[in-house]
Amino acid sequence: MKHYLSLMFALVMSLTALAQTSLKGRVIDEATQQPVVGAKVTLANQNISTTTNASGEFSLLYLEATDEDVIIEADGYVAAIELISLKADSPNELDAISLQQDIVAQTQDEILLNLTEEEMTDDEGRSQSQASSSSASTDVFNSTTSFAWSTVRYRNRGYQSNVENYYIEGLNFSTAERGSFNFSAMGGLNDASRYKEVLNPMEATNFTFGGIGQSTNYLMGASRYAQGWKVGVAGTNRNYKARVNATYASGVLSNGWAFAAQLAFRFSPYIDQKNIIGEGIQYYSLGYFFTAEKVWENKRLRLITFGAPTLRGQNAAVTQEAYDLTGSIYYNPYWGYQNGKVRNSRNVQSYDPTIIAAFDYDIDEQQKIKVAAGYHFSFYSNSAINFYNAPDPRPDYYRNMPSYYWDGQIANPNSEKGGANQLFDENGNHYPWGLFIGEDASTGQHYMGSGFVGHDGNLVGPSVDETAYNHLVDIWQARDNKTTQIDWENLYAANYANNANNPNASARYILERRHNDIHEAIANFNYTNTKYDHLKMTAGLEGKVSQGVHYKTIDDLLGGNQWIDIDAFADRDMKELASNTGYTQEDIRLVVQNDLYHPDKAIKTGQRFGYDYRINMDKVKAWFQNEWSFNEVDVYYALAVEYSNMQRVTSMFNGRQAYLATLAYGRGTMWKYLGDNSQQYQTVRPFYYGNTHHFVEPAFKAGVIYKINGRNRLKLNALAETRAPYARDAYISQRIHDRVLDEIYVHDKATNLKEFYAASEKVVSGDLTYEFNYPIVRGRVTGFFTQSWNGTELNGYYDDEARTFVNQALSEIDKRYMGVEAAIAVKLGTYFTLTGVASVGDYRYTSNATSITSAENGMPMTQDLVTQEHVFEVRDKVLLKGLHISTGPQANASLKLSFFHPKMWFADVTVSYHDWNYLSVAPSRRMQGLYTGMRTDGHAVNGWFGDSYANAIMTTDGRELEVTVDNDANSPTFGQAIYQNAVLDANGVPVLKYPYNLMTQQESLVATNPLNRFIIDASVGKLLYLPNRQSLSINLSVSNLTNNTHFKTGGYQQARLPRAVRQQQPDNQNSVITANAWKYPSKYYYAWGVNFFLSVTYKF
Amino acid sequence: MKTNNYWYIILCIVALATMSSCEPSAPSQDSIFMTEAQVAEYTKDGQIYHLNDFLDTYMTEKGNYASDSSQYRTRSVDSNYPDIYLFSIDTLPTNGPAIYIRGRIATDDFAGNYYKSIVIQEIVNGDQQNLRLSVDLGSAGGMYPMGQEILIRCNGLAIGRYANQPQLCMPTYNNNLYASHADEKVGWAPGRIPSAMFRNATRFVGKPDVNLLQYDLIDLKDLYDLIPQTPAITVAGMDEVRKLDGRLVVITDAYFSGEYSDYGDLKPCTTGNPEDDKNANVFGPTTGNIGYPQGRFIRSVTDNTKVLTVSTSEYAKYAAYYLPGADTTGVAHCKDWHGTVAGILGWYMDNAGDFPGSSKDSKNENIKSYKLNWAVTPRGIPGIGVADIYMENADGEEWVPQEYDPKVYVTE
Repeated sequence: MKHYLSLMFALVMSLTALAQTSLKGRVIDEATQQPVVGAKVTLANQNISTTTNASGEFSLLYLEATDEDVIIEADGYVAAIELISLKADSPNELDAISLQQDIVAQTQDEILLNLTEEEMTDDEGRSQSQASSSSASTDVFNSTTSFAWSTVRYRNRGYQSNVENYYIEGLNFSTAERGSFNFSAMGGLNDASRYKEVLNPMEATNFTFGGIGQSTNYLMGASRYAQGWKVGVAGTNRNYKARVNATYASGVLSNGWAFAAQLAFRFSPYIDQKNIIGEGIQYYSLGYFFTAEKVWENKRLRLITFGAPTLRGQNAAVTQEAYDLTGSIYYNPYWGYQNGKVRNSRNVQSYDPTIIAAFDYDIDEQQKIKVAAGYHFSFYSNSAINFYNAPDPRPDYYRNMPSYYWDGQIANPNSEKGGANQLFDENGNHYPWGLFIGEDASTGQHYMGSGFVGHDGNLVGPSVDETAYNHLVDIWQARDNKTTQIDWENLYAANYANNANNPNASARYILERRHNDIHEAIANFNYTNTKYDHLKMTAGLEGKVSQGVHYKTIDDLLGGNQWIDIDAFADRDMKELASNTGYTQEDIRLVVQNDLYHPDKAIKTGQRFGYDYRINMDKVKAWFQNEWSFNEVDVYYALAVEYSNMQRVTSMFNGRQAYLATLAYGRGTMWKYLGDNSQQYQTVRPFYYGNTHHFVEPAFKAGVIYKINGRNRLKLNALAETRAPYARDAYISQRIHDRVLDEIYVHDKATNLKEFYAASEKVVSGDLTYEFNYPIVRGRVTGFFTQSWNGTELNGYYDDEARTFVNQALSEIDKRYMGVEAAIAVKLGTYFTLTGVASVGDYRYTSNATSITSAENGMPMTQDLVTQEHVFEVRDKVLLKGLHISTGPQANASLKLSFFHPKMWFADVTVSYHDWNYLSVAPSRRMQGLYTGMRTDGHAVNGWFGDSYANAIMTTDGRELEVTVDNDANSPTFGQAIYQNAVLDANGVPVLKYPYNLMTQQESLVATNPLNRFIIDASVGKLLYLPNRQSLSINLSVSNLTNNTHFKTGGYQQARLPRAVRQQQPDNQNSVITANAWKYPSKYYYAWGVNFFLSVTYKF
Repeated sequence: MKTNNYWYIILCIVALATMSSCEPSAPSQDSIFMTEAQVAEYTKDGQIYHLNDFLDTYMTEKGNYASDSSQYRTRSVDSNYPDIYLFSIDTLPTNGPAIYIRGRIATDDFAGNYYKSIVIQEIVNGDQQNLRLSVDLGSAGGMYPMGQEILIRCNGLAIGRYANQPQLCMPTYNNNLYASHADEKVGWAPGRIPSAMFRNATRFVGKPDVNLLQYDLIDLKDLYDLIPQTPAITVAGMDEVRKLDGRLVVITDAYFSGEYSDYGDLKPCTTGNPEDDKNANVFGPTTGNIGYPQGRFIRSVTDNTKVLTVSTSEYAKYAAYYLPGADTTGVAHCKDWHGTVAGILGWYMDNAGDFPGSSKDSKNENIKSYKLNWAVTPRGIPGIGVADIYMENADGEEWVPQEYDPKVYVTE
């Protein structure tokens, strides 16, 4: 009976299958005849799609019997379209569909991977990273813009890279500490990272909840790789000069196993040549990748490991003055000559050994499980010169520039002297350095000011004469090695001399290495259920235990005997420390220590010093998603909740932490600096544990797709979520102590005091897309809007007023991103395709932020004028509202003409236009107190305003500065008048002499000459089929064909601001001289000029 | 696998292994510190001048930079003595034979009492010759430490006099209209040499050795008699005092009298709070960040009519330290501590005379205006950098520096 029923069931099922309209087929690589795994197969009219399996096969059931366009798309291949007339109630079958390799896209992917890895980071930690998506993406917009706009550091929808989600085999690889993905982990492994799912923001996904940014999931199963060898060589004039690589894949063997491996070596030795891309940079990277996969009928097991030990030099953003003096946008101040050979001071060493195990199990046709676990080490460090009681060795340090001896005279654009001699850069902006030559009225001799403005507008201060200035300019223009580059031999000389004078003293100069390592254990569980008609249910659970490890070691003592582990700033300021606190010299000796348990420790090469702490972070995220699919409408929603925590643990107990805790003791806030162990800090212990901070973050998203017909559709997505602050932003001075932002939840176990504020960033977002897809033309138009509230950010800089290095923690940052992106691709006959893409965005701050600024060395920031108490954390409003978020060009358009000949010739040329690009604003320059004289916490800027009070509002939407005054009678001039765009202080002099444009307008980075806003790229390639399924491909990609070297991709204001100085007048009254806001000018990045990438690949 | 592929992989691994050894080797000390033979070879294109010869050769009385005194700081010349320039600049030829000087650095800026100023010392026939170098280089002692002998190619630089003190410099226009007596200060004056130019002009000769510095060990009353208090206001008279500038001296038989100068008048220090202007009994009370040095007086133990100013910057690390013998109660015990004060001899001299340590007399400006305000500028005190002050009391106890104690002096 049982057998009978089974037979009947099988018969019914077979009949059912026979009775339905279905389509199956197989997709293969034309060159190798190997199956193409993961290709997306779409029936355009019915809007149904699937992907190919390990054998390259696909099948689609329950189809309408009609004429169909079958679109086959796969990473690294040219999309193919097959026309078929589906017969009703019968199985339809396509012959093997051969896909041709898109060698242009493959090459662009490799270039893109490299570009993303080489994000430039400067002293202040700002980076120029851009979101990376594949140029081989099937989305017309993404596939065009990801490569063409990478040159100018375009960011999708203006988002920071930390809102992009990066996964590998379903495991979240965006770090918990910064939210970033380390592309260096896959350096050069273009094959390893070839296969991926890229999903547009907020769309329904099957591997994670997603977010407002793109979500990318790299798929590294060995069965995806076609059997055979692939070896390649490439040459380029970018940061590395050559690349060789080899990939081998076994294909799926008869026993179900598949293996694939890649080695990639990229290198560039130091090249002793100035004014080239990658000036002063060495580059070595060896990437390895190995994957093994076992394929069963309904199960797959994948084991993956990869890593790329990399050593690469860095280059820096510099001031316009440095660019102009050296005559090159490639000037790099990070290197110099040592023994006649090039040496870079900033070398990144990175290595991300990663292991992953992933298991897929198809419980049945409707239920699938994916489980993955991975361990990821990220060893990342960067070297830099440190110095103690010695001159700043940086060649582009402001005191080493000619402008330091000159810069005063253009400080006042409205002055008679400055006005007649102002110069503008090519973008129409004032040079931040002066060319004005003043004239001594009595003698006619020329002179230059040094950057101060008196209360009557006169420029004051000493400055060298024109001959000396010109001599300095000559030195720079001649690229004098000792002046324009690091003078390594002088650093050695200082240390050798120091050894002779006092062999036990701290070295004057060292090359230190700052380590930011990450250890992560990651797990993921994913369940998909399609059991119910029209409904696809997906649920996931992600977990991550991670630890950020931060410490410094000595790379090179540069001839010194040792480095004494004390804080140079604290040591220098010991006088003030003593005056403020009554500390004895013995106390001070402890305060300056970086490690109280090992005071005055003599550090040798390779040893840890400075700081050594970890940030422990746990994160668990649960989510589920329901997708309903009907003929005309698809609907989905998803919910997620994430719990995370963070805790700082240090093995070095810092003298400033103890010092601040002591000061805070009387205020009952000692625990803020010490965490859970307030009473134990004097006990020697191996580790010191801070407070644990907890966050719970809900998220919701939903969307609807309305299918107007098979070729036209409307998509609407919306999302609301909260995001916990990243650890790097949560601590106000994490190298020193445990103090976090006020808004973060804190539980002091000692007193059982609990504080809870909403510290998380709140985000709402939505987009609306119209999408069309015809054989001749396809594309989309999307409008998007995102608003976030209560963001956090941490900046560090040298503060001239406090005369020490400070950390500025920002919170309550509101931002808005809105814009339109559009793309259209039109096939022009057999060989040509014309693609047009555009993105116009408006990304702005929508609120002012609040800031806490504190000194890293524990110094007080100011003194309360009423209580006379020293103030260690100053609070102020940061006037950001209305400013543009600096996130690359916000108006972009490209026209791309592609050529593809069936004899496997490829070519394309892309013309891009970019506009609306803005300088990144330094929050320190926009603190309200600078304009009103009074911070929002009631403390006066520069500390000399007595008990005056004022309320000032500066709007940045318009150009007007509005100041309303609620003043007392003691200082009637305070805040009432605006003298040449600066608010007057109690003495009637400007608080800060900000040029009008600098104060009220954000500097545009866009070139004045419209022609310099264009970038032209071109590629050409040929794929040769050889006997025995061998092939040879050659591709040349040239970026910035017209060598446009006038394109500023980004830049930032230096956070450092000059301080005003007081001078005593004969009547014993103080006169205040305000400093020139140009003294520390902005720094810029330029797009590279013409650069190429030539690759040759042989497959066999 | 083909043989070629093995070679390929091996090549990659070897290249990776060499990554960590890509940096150039460290320069040898021989290549940095010149020997006498190397100095001789290096200076073949010109002449090395002794410091005094250098001044005699290139420093003129009125300077070659400006045609008349009106272009210099207006204080440079008093109308009663039009030939006496206290401020002058002589530029040195950029081209032509090289002009070299050499000397051993006698100062240290670690303690903060020297800022962008270096004094070099050359021993000629057993005696000191000295010259100030005005260099725009903060923390210069890190690169140019005390005891290091340096060789300077002076072409393109300038030699000038600032308050009659010779210094290697660059012409600088001071247009600080807001300084006290600004109308008397605006104009050209010797200024700091840009650091890039100084570095390019300088070579190290041998390794530093502070033991090779020579100092004058001298009793305060003998020193007082040696240095002209009211020099003849003639070119020769000015030249006579000029040659004494920059000498490294160790003054014996001294004690801090607990006095400071107020427009030239000696007044007793009364408070121990360095935040109080002028009269605090610490080395360098605040000037409100104006920045002029503060004078505290030492007197001779054997002849207390012989006095000298000890000059301290308010930015010195030891500025808030009590004078030897001083404490929160005042200066009554200062006289109990006797000993030595080392430092660089100098003065401030102009024709306004309202600087601390000057001897301004409003009834007779012209005569008083050229009185020299002799001072010794220590390089530090024990515990804060270079120790230049040593004192002990009658019991043989050594003076231990004490810092101002804010717990006692809390500002209300």
